[in-house]
Amino acid sequence: MAGPVPEGGRDVRLDFFRGLSLIFIFIDHIPENFLSYFTVRSIAFNDAAEIFIFISGYTAALVYGRSLRQSGALLATAQIYRRVWQLYVAHIFLFVIFTAEVSYTLIAIQSPMYAEELGVGDFLQAPHIAIIRALLLDFQPPFLDILPLYIVLLGCFPPVLLALEKYPLVPVCVSAALYALTLARGWALHTYPADHTWFFNPLAWQFLFVIGASLGYAAVDEHHVSRVPTWLSRLAAVIAAGVAVISLSWTLHWVFDPFPPLLAKQLWNHTIDKTNLTPLRLISFLALAASVVHFVKRDNAFLEWRATRAIVVCGKHSLYVFCLGILLSVLGHFILTEFYGGIGTEIAVNLAGIALMIGAAALFEWFKAASRRPRHAAGPVPATPSE
Amino acid sequence: MMRRVLLLLPGLAFVASLASGGEREHGAAPGRDCGVPRELVEDEPRLPGLAERLHAKQPVVITVIGGGSTTGAAAGGPANAYPHWLEAALRRRHPQAQITVINLGIARQTTEDMVQRFAAEIYPSRPNLVIWETGTVDAVRGTDIDDFTAALESGIAALREHNSEVMLVDMQYNSGTASVINFEPYLDALHQVADLHDVYLFRRFDIMRYWSAEGMFDFVDVSKENRAALAAEVYECLGENLAEAVDFAAQ
Repeated sequence: MAGPVPEGGRDVRLDFFRGLSLIFIFIDHIPENFLSYFTVRSIAFNDAAEIFIFISGYTAALVYGRSLRQSGALLATAQIYRRVWQLYVAHIFLFVIFTAEVSYTLIAIQSPMYAEELGVGDFLQAPHIAIIRALLLDFQPPFLDILPLYIVLLGCFPPVLLALEKYPLVPVCVSAALYALTLARGWALHTYPADHTWFFNPLAWQFLFVIGASLGYAAVDEHHVSRVPTWLSRLAAVIAAGVAVISLSWTLHWVFDPFPPLLAKQLWNHTIDKTNLTPLRLISFLALAASVVHFVKRDNAFLEWRATRAIVVCGKHSLYVFCLGILLSVLGHFILTEFYGGIGTEIAVNLAGIALMIGAAALFEWFKAASRRPRHAAGPVPATPSE
Repeated sequence: MMRRVLLLLPGLAFVASLASGGEREHGAAPGRDCGVPRELVEDEPRLPGLAERLHAKQPVVITVIGGGSTTGAAAGGPANAYPHWLEAALRRRHPQAQITVINLGIARQTTEDMVQRFAAEIYPSRPNLVIWETGTVDAVRGTDIDDFTAALESGIAALREHNSEVMLVDMQYNSGTASVINFEPYLDALHQVADLHDVYLFRRFDIMRYWSAEGMFDFVDVSKENRAALAAEVYECLGENLAEAVDFAAQ
C-alpha cells in the first residue's frame, strides 16, 4: 500500500482522504441532496463509508502498532480502549441531541397519514428502554450507525493487532473467512426494536477494517516495503475505471433518462446491499484505493494546496469533525425543508456546513498546537501521529 | 444511487412547469387545486393492454394492493381512500367502460408480506392492472435492502406472469420523517427497480412534496380535528392524479 513511513512522519494522504470522506458523509446524509451527485458514490459502487472504515483500520494499526512496538501490548491495548471510550461518549452525545430533535419532529409526524404506517408512537412510548438500548449500542437511529460499527471494530482490535505482529497474514485470512461465512449464511446482529439489524453489519464490515489494518501495520515497519506490484496497480486502475464508467452512466441515467445505464440489469442488484458490504462494493473500493495510491504519491504537489490542507485538517480531527458533520446534516436538512429556496439555498447550506467543519477542525488544530507548545519556547515540536 | 434529478428538486420541477407555460393537470372533481406539473404524472412506460381494453370498451379490473395509506384509515376508511377516488375519476373519464377498482390495502405489511397475498387475493380476480403501493413498512422496519428489492422484483414478475400490467406507487412525503426513518435507500431502490423492469411508477412522494413546497397542502401544522379532513382531501387529490397517470399511460 504505502511505501516506508519515516519515523514520526505522517502520510498526509490518509488525513486528506479521511477528511474528504467526512465531507462526503455530511453531503450524502442530507436526504435528496443535489450535491450528492458529486460525491464518490457517483463514480463507484461504494461510498464514503468504505473510505472512512478502511482508513480507520489503516491508521489504527499504524498508530497502535507503533505503540505496541515501543511500549508493549498492555499500553497499546489501554490506548485502544481509551479511544473506544472517546468514540462511545461521542456516540451517546450524538444520540442525546438526535433524540431531542426527533422528539420535536415526531409531534409533526403524528398527522394521521403517517402515524399508522410509521408506528412512531413506539419510539417515545418507552424512552427508558430506548435509552438503555442506546447505551448498549443496540438502538441505532438512522445516520447514527457508523460510530457503533467503529466502536465494535476497535473494541475487538487488540487481539488482531497482537496477531498482526506475530503472523501478519493470519488476521486477514480469518477475517476473509468470517466475511465469506457471513455473506453465505446471512449472519446478522440484531438491534432494538427486535426485528431490526445493524445497518452496518460488523461481521461483514470487519473485513475491510482488517484489510486496512494489515496494510497499515505493514507500514509501521519502516524497513518493510509493501509496494503494490505494478501489474496489480494496473489491474486495479482498469477495474476502477470500468466501475467509474458504469457507475457514472447510472448517475447520468437518473439525471437524463435516455442515457443508457450500462449493465444495470446485471450489476445494480449486487451493489445496493451496503449493510453486508457486498463483494462488488468491496472490489470497487479496493480498486479505487489501489489506483489512488498508485497515482497520488505521498509527495504529490496537490497535497500542499490550501484547499487540500483544509481537508487534511478535517481528517486529522476526524472524530470531532465526523460528529459535527452528522449534526450539521440533520440541521441542514431541517433548514432545507423549512425554508426551501431552490438550488441556491441547497448549495449555500452545503457550503456553510463544509465551512463549519473545516473551521472547527482548524480550531482543534490550533488548540492542540497551542496547548503543546511551552510558553515562550520556539522551535519545532516533534510530530506525534494521532489516530 | 439517486433518483432522477428533475424530481429531486421541487424547485426545478416548478421551474419546469413555468417553462412549459405553467401547465398543470386539472382534474375536474376535487374541490381544491391540487394539480401538479405534467412531468410528475406523464411518464414512461405506457400500459398498452389497458389502453386496448379501454379503447374496445371492455370491462376493466384494477386491483390496488398497498399499506395503511391505501386502506384510507386516516380519512375514515376505504370510501375516502385514493383507490376509491381513482375509480370515480376513471369512470367519469370513461363513462362507457365498466371499471372496477378493488382495494386490497392492509396496514403494516412489508413488500414480502404483500407478495405472499398475491396468489390468494389478486390472481383469482384476473385484474388487468395491479397498482402496488409499497416501501413504507420496509423502510420503517429496516428490511435488508436487497431482500426488499428481491421481493419487489419477484412480485412484478409474478404479476406479469398472470397477465396483469403493473404500476408502482412510492411512499408518502413528510418533511419530518427523514430524521426518524431512513427512507431514501428504499425510495431509490423502488425507482431503480421500476426503471430496470419497465414499470410505470406513480411519484406520490414527489407529488406530495410539490404540494407541500407550493403551499397547496400543509402536512405539518395540522390540528387534531382537521387531520381526517386533510387526509381525505389528500387522498382525493392523489386518486385524481393517479387517474390522470393511468389515463396517460393507457393512451
